Amino acid sequence: MPDNTNHDTEDGSRDIATDGGMSDVEREQQIDYMDVEINLLKPATPFMRDHLRIIWIGFGIWVLTTFAPITATRLAPDTMTQSMPLIGFPLHYFLLAIVGPGAALVLSVWYARKRDQIDEKYGIEQGVVEPETTDTVPDDAAATDGGVDE
Amino acid sequence: MIDAAPLVADLAIGAAELMPLQSGSELLPENLNVSFKALPAIIVIGMMLLFIVAGFMFQVADTDDMWVAGRSIGNIENGMAIGANWMSAATYLGVAATVATAGVYGLAYVIGWTTGYFILLIFMAAQMRRFGKYTAPDFVGDRFNSDTARALAALTTFLIGFVYALGQARGMGLVGLYILGDWSALTGGLLTAYQTMMVVFMVITVAYLSLSGMLGATKNMVLQYVILIVAFLLGLVATGWAGGFTTVLPQLQYGMMIDSLAAEFSAPFAGGSYYLWVATCFSLVFGTCGLPHVLVRFYTVKNERVARWSCTWGLFFISLLYLSAPAFAAIGTALYGDQIGAVYGDPGMTSAAGDVLVVLAAQLAGLPEWFVGFVAAGGIAAAVATTAGLFIAASSAISHDIYANIINEDATQRQQVLVGRLSIILIGLLTIIFALNPQQPIAALVGFAFSLAAIVLFPMFFLGLWWENTNRQGALSGMVTGIVVWFIPMINEGNFGLVNGGAGLGIEAISTWMPAIGSALIGTPIVFAVTIAVSLVTTEPPLETKQMVRQCHSPDPMPSDKTAADIVAEKNRDGNAPADD
Repeated sequence: MPDNTNHDTEDGSRDIATDGGMSDVEREQQIDYMDVEINLLKPATPFMRDHLRIIWIGFGIWVLTTFAPITATRLAPDTMTQSMPLIGFPLHYFLLAIVGPGAALVLSVWYARKRDQIDEKYGIEQGVVEPETTDTVPDDAAATDGGVDE
Repeated sequence: MIDAAPLVADLAIGAAELMPLQSGSELLPENLNVSFKALPAIIVIGMMLLFIVAGFMFQVADTDDMWVAGRSIGNIENGMAIGANWMSAATYLGVAATVATAGVYGLAYVIGWTTGYFILLIFMAAQMRRFGKYTAPDFVGDRFNSDTARALAALTTFLIGFVYALGQARGMGLVGLYILGDWSALTGGLLTAYQTMMVVFMVITVAYLSLSGMLGATKNMVLQYVILIVAFLLGLVATGWAGGFTTVLPQLQYGMMIDSLAAEFSAPFAGGSYYLWVATCFSLVFGTCGLPHVLVRFYTVKNERVARWSCTWGLFFISLLYLSAPAFAAIGTALYGDQIGAVYGDPGMTSAAGDVLVVLAAQLAGLPEWFVGFVAAGGIAAAVATTAGLFIAASSAISHDIYANIINEDATQRQQVLVGRLSIILIGLLTIIFALNPQQPIAALVGFAFSLAAIVLFPMFFLGLWWENTNRQGALSGMVTGIVVWFIPMINEGNFGLVNGGAGLGIEAISTWMPAIGSALIGTPIVFAVTIAVSLVTTEPPLETKQMVRQCHSPDPMPSDKTAADIVAEKNRDGNAPADD
């Protein structure tokens, strides 16, 4: 899963990479996303490559924390049901009831921060371009987009 | 009771066979003290009034506010709304019940209903926000250029909302009964006590919702989240304390109790096989990622960064409850075992008692009546909030996706909002009628909706966002296959009395390997395969469609009121990509 990143860089952005000295960020700036293929397995741009790397790492860890404890309990019930010292939980129960949901939460924070860092690396700033109009003025908002699209 | 078949569904079918007539009293847990309770009643009535007032204050008149709250919602606010929207009666009441009665199998619900948000976060939340638009069927219709696909998705959305809301109505009725007592005299004996109370609460919910739309619902959901989480956590700490089981951190302390409970509580596969556990968990995770009322929460935020962080906040708010529910189950099981009778075996804890275990535990721990009422009120807040989210999603499917996009393309905003309100009333009526005599416990009803979302909608969203070559033919054949596949176990198990008056076909291989509650483990890969295969052998989608997908993944900021389709259209008009003709 996360192992494909290196090869794909060569495949996916070969024509861009020939520019030699350009950094990822500079290369990224020359890319128009309308022209690149979206492919979960073959990221076409430096940004997508960075992004997909953390997606796949996160997904891999998630698969383990979600399904490995129950599988281990199936394979080695005696080991997995032993009581844990201090807190008294049977090991499998602790892994399922607390570690499973907790891991997803920690992973989410990790992902959201990583993604923010990638945004920072590529100089992407969210929310500055949008006008701060529609807060709680429903009637005005009606006029602004009524009938514009479709 | 302890076999490989889906335990919750078994319980329900058994119960339905015993009492084929409308008999609300049998639905009632025998040990719950049903009577009018003054202080709890004031709490609940005050709470419902508060919801109506909040709904009234944020009344809406245009479709942007009606369906996506004007795209104005921020991080924490949306996170709380995600939490309230998510945590239904099935969570508030049902998870503790399932963990108590089904043991380790119940933890599949805890994990499935929390960790799905991570998948949603990494694969879909921000991309969905960039796609823009209003509803989940919008995505399907626009992405696959097909009104048929849009209609199928809208129909599925409606079906999900309906099946899911049945469980909520049941929860509201049961808890309302506990607090307000038996009002059946009002109807001259036409309706039972449970039915009367369910109707009362559903009518109030529909009333506030048809007034307020998504904007009011979002503001209310924040309120509802605070009420439900405070009620649940305080209820847990107080119950554990009063029962002498735990002190300040029951979420960890209940580990010490586990040895003293019956073996069924923690024995690994006492409540369901390994396969059933994995299948259930899989269905719930990917159902989460396919539920229209969950996805639409990402349309309500300002930008995709807010979509990401509010998803993370949402998971945090959700985890607060899910990490506590097993503790409630352990304490409730201990109290039930001490004071009423054996939890497991025959007769064991009834599904009705299980459904209100959280309230029952507080009562059994000897907490004051007003406090038990407060815990119960949290359950109602949870049910109302989720019903709100579901009804908004279902009614937008009718009003926006079917009416405005297919039937009357020139519909004005006034007409759309009117149709939206009417359809909220319609789905409310339908839910009331079908919830008069519910056959399944809360968690099971909700489970079916998850299988449906995971099988039919999740593959469309996922492939639609991540593989630009998915085309109309692929999507249509995938969705049709999905709907058929979903019905196989439903018919086999006779859910909703579909076949043989509820007995179903009972083919054992199907009930073992494709239980209704976990049918996505087999169904979702099938739909993926069909969609991909058909897309490969038919023509590629048009360039504009591909560009729309690309725009969803582009890191460039885009204005909050634009959709990916707008950006693509603008670009092509400028002549940069003269690919049309």
